[in-house]
Amino acid sequence: MILNPSLIIAKKEIMDNIRNKWIIILSIIFALLTVVVSYFGSIYTEGWQDLGTTIAGMMSLVQFLVPIIALVLGYGAIISEIERGSMSALLSQPTSRLEIILGKFIGLGAIISITILVGFGFGGIIIALNVSNTNYVDYLIFILSTILIGLVFLSLAIFFSTLFKKRSTAMGGAIFLWFFFNMILPIIFAGILFMSISFSELLDGTIPEWYQYLTLINPLSVYSNLNSIALNLNFGQAVSISYPSMFSGELMAGILFLWIIVLIFLSIWRFNNKDV
Amino acid sequence: MARTYSKPNIESTKPKPYYDTRTRQLFESREAYEEYQRQKNIEAFEKIYGKVKAVDNVSFNVNKGEIFGFLGPNGAGKTTTIKSILDLININSGQIKINNLEISKQGKEAKKKIGYLPEKVAFYDNLTALQNLYFYAEIRNASKEECKKLIDDLGLSEAINKKVGKFSKGMIQRLGMARAILGNPSVIILDEPSGGLDPRGVVLIRDKIREMKDKGSTIFVSSHILSEIQEICDRVGIIDRGKLVAKDSVSTLSTKLDLKPKISIELEAINDSIIKSIKGVKGVDKLDIKDKTLEVACEPKTKSKVIVAIEKAGGNIVNLKTKEPSLEEVFMRYTGGGK
Repeated sequence: MILNPSLIIAKKEIMDNIRNKWIIILSIIFALLTVVVSYFGSIYTEGWQDLGTTIAGMMSLVQFLVPIIALVLGYGAIISEIERGSMSALLSQPTSRLEIILGKFIGLGAIISITILVGFGFGGIIIALNVSNTNYVDYLIFILSTILIGLVFLSLAIFFSTLFKKRSTAMGGAIFLWFFFNMILPIIFAGILFMSISFSELLDGTIPEWYQYLTLINPLSVYSNLNSIALNLNFGQAVSISYPSMFSGELMAGILFLWIIVLIFLSIWRFNNKDV
Repeated sequence: MARTYSKPNIESTKPKPYYDTRTRQLFESREAYEEYQRQKNIEAFEKIYGKVKAVDNVSFNVNKGEIFGFLGPNGAGKTTTIKSILDLININSGQIKINNLEISKQGKEAKKKIGYLPEKVAFYDNLTALQNLYFYAEIRNASKEECKKLIDDLGLSEAINKKVGKFSKGMIQRLGMARAILGNPSVIILDEPSGGLDPRGVVLIRDKIREMKDKGSTIFVSSHILSEIQEICDRVGIIDRGKLVAKDSVSTLSTKLDLKPKISIELEAINDSIIKSIKGVKGVDKLDIKDKTLEVACEPKTKSKVIVAIEKAGGNIVNLKTKEPSLEEVFMRYTGGGK
């Protein structure tokens, strides 16, 4: 059977990562995380929480863990092969640079997707066996949105992998990205918000619409919004957040897809102009 | 009736040399230039890094079915040229054609017929030799059986299911050669094919190169081992400081440089009258003395005169050998000693 070179490269990436046990290790981490959060995550009740509460408890952990895993998997995708010398051999084959980028994205994306699906799925089954009234659809939406945010950060990592001339610089860039989206950007946004509205407005939960639109720059905020809107979560906050009427689960998912498309396009453009 | 003959106009039949101002190359005639234009597959191209011209107006043709050796001192632009041929780096001007396909525009199609052994051979360490080779075979649409046969041919059958991460440098080089000839490519580009190989490996790779030539492949080899290049190549190209300074067969380049063959004459004893007698022979370029052996650089037709001169001076010849000018001499002359 003749496969598209992208699929052959993707298959090789999966084989390579199965061999170095990444998939198994990550799946176990995700499953353990789900189970631990479900059992110990609530300060109000003891024992197993239902899937909805578990999701709310897991959101912040996922926002820390999934991006770093995606960045670690992807930052060396191109630059490591260039540094090792295997990229020149790959590029001498009848395959284009576009196919290589797509192959890498599909392969590494499959690893992230499989680990999240297996890890969270296994954790979800254990929870479902211990609690009643399990909402499987909500949990599936949570898993899919987590895969989506993983793919956004994977695309970012692949772009950084094409951007720099050294693997070490790409790794530094990936770590910076993680800090930027997890720490720096939220602090900047919070600073802007505190300067713009009064403390009493903040206590009322009155968050201006412009601010909500501004936070869409950060894919982690989009991910949070997506789950909050689609699953009607309030993350245990005292005041519930009211979103602009335009906001919807579909819009948030669309923004995350847009991130992926733009970053993959930029990676292809950059790789096409890169000397190997 | 007496016939009248007009004097043939010799001037009009003699072709006029043609100088290509762009590539700064001199051709025997306009026709020779046009024929070269039709056949050549690498047209004057340039690669500039910052302000440095790594490759400057390099232009040449590799004939179908020949082994073309590509030489140059370190940093002369050999690897940059190879990477340009394979479209691994973007060239600043010019065009490169392989099998009449322009590599920058029809690269995917052209690469179906190209095999490449890079200077720095690398594979995926977590995969076995067979898995690695089969990955490339799938892209080239070659079979798993061919992969197994190549692994066997290159003496790696015992390591076929071993992870490449555990391979020695020589084994990786052999596997790299297997990858380069996978799918019977019509053009094979080899960058330092003997790197990291033991003598047995060197012979194995050399035999494979010859085998591929016999199958009709065109082979482009870059190597530092000049004796190897001289032994296997039909023609050579020499690059120095980014410029192609010579391209032809070793014998033609030797003639162009007026390099004379050397006669190595071993004598029972050497005395001053023998040396004086040889130096007196017209056509002797150079005379070196090593113990009881004389090395005389001269035209082939002067050889007999040298022998007669030795015998007249009372010398007894024990052994006599003729050495053709070596590629090393040609290389040194064109590159200024590689400095």
